[in-house]
Amino acid sequence: MITALLIIHGLLAVALLGGVTHQAVSAWSPARKAAGSFVNRFRSVTAASYTNAIVVLYIVTMVVGAVIYPEFRISIRGVLEELDSPAAMGAFELKEHFAVVGLALLPAYWYFWRLPLADEHARTRKILTALLAFIIWWNFLVGHVVNNLRGFGA
Amino acid sequence: MTARRSFSSLAIIFAVVYAVAYAAAMWQNYALFTYHPVLNEIAMGVEKPKDGPAMYWYGWMATAAIAAALACLVASLVPDRITRRLWSGWSWAIPLAVLFFLAYLLRGYFLR
Repeated sequence: MITALLIIHGLLAVALLGGVTHQAVSAWSPARKAAGSFVNRFRSVTAASYTNAIVVLYIVTMVVGAVIYPEFRISIRGVLEELDSPAAMGAFELKEHFAVVGLALLPAYWYFWRLPLADEHARTRKILTALLAFIIWWNFLVGHVVNNLRGFGA
Repeated sequence: MTARRSFSSLAIIFAVVYAVAYAAAMWQNYALFTYHPVLNEIAMGVEKPKDGPAMYWYGWMATAAIAAALACLVASLVPDRITRRLWSGWSWAIPLAVLFFLAYLLRGYFLR
């Protein structure tokens, strides 16, 4: 059951990562002309359309993470201590704290991406998105690395 | 006061207070409750580990949620002409500072 939830957690995180990366790149470096190269198409998405999906995915991913977290504390953390990997433990601790800060950002993030987009909040919108993207990327990479340290299904 | 403007102020206050209250709760261990995963027990307040680890993370989030809810409640009573002066950048500036503070608190893991 925990393994299934861990896989679901990972899949949700992949979707979240894709959505927020698209939005962040589109917000910071919008395409000036449609289509063309792969990078241009990546940048030319309608950034605001990702907002609701990102909010929902963030909350659901975090809830699933919170459900499987006790298993980490019982079974995995001890292994990290045995492996003498303080950096991995510290990175995971940061992951749990960063996730909460990301949760705090969500109402403001959602509000500043509401249509019609307010020009006076363009900078706030871009920075909130970048901050959320950083948290999501950090949490994804740390979760992935820590999972690999332990080994799938070990 | 329009609903849109009101929500804007509340969202900024929520971001600031939730992030700061969480950092304070984590720093000083002000957990509303403690979860003992091995025993599958929840105890109010901060309890020491017993028969396995004690988890405070959920309790810190709950403490921060109460602080943020109270701050939003107070803010909703403040006249709109005051809250609308709130700089929208606080919604990212303070949480960003909190990220650095949390990293600073945990620096021991990376400097051994």
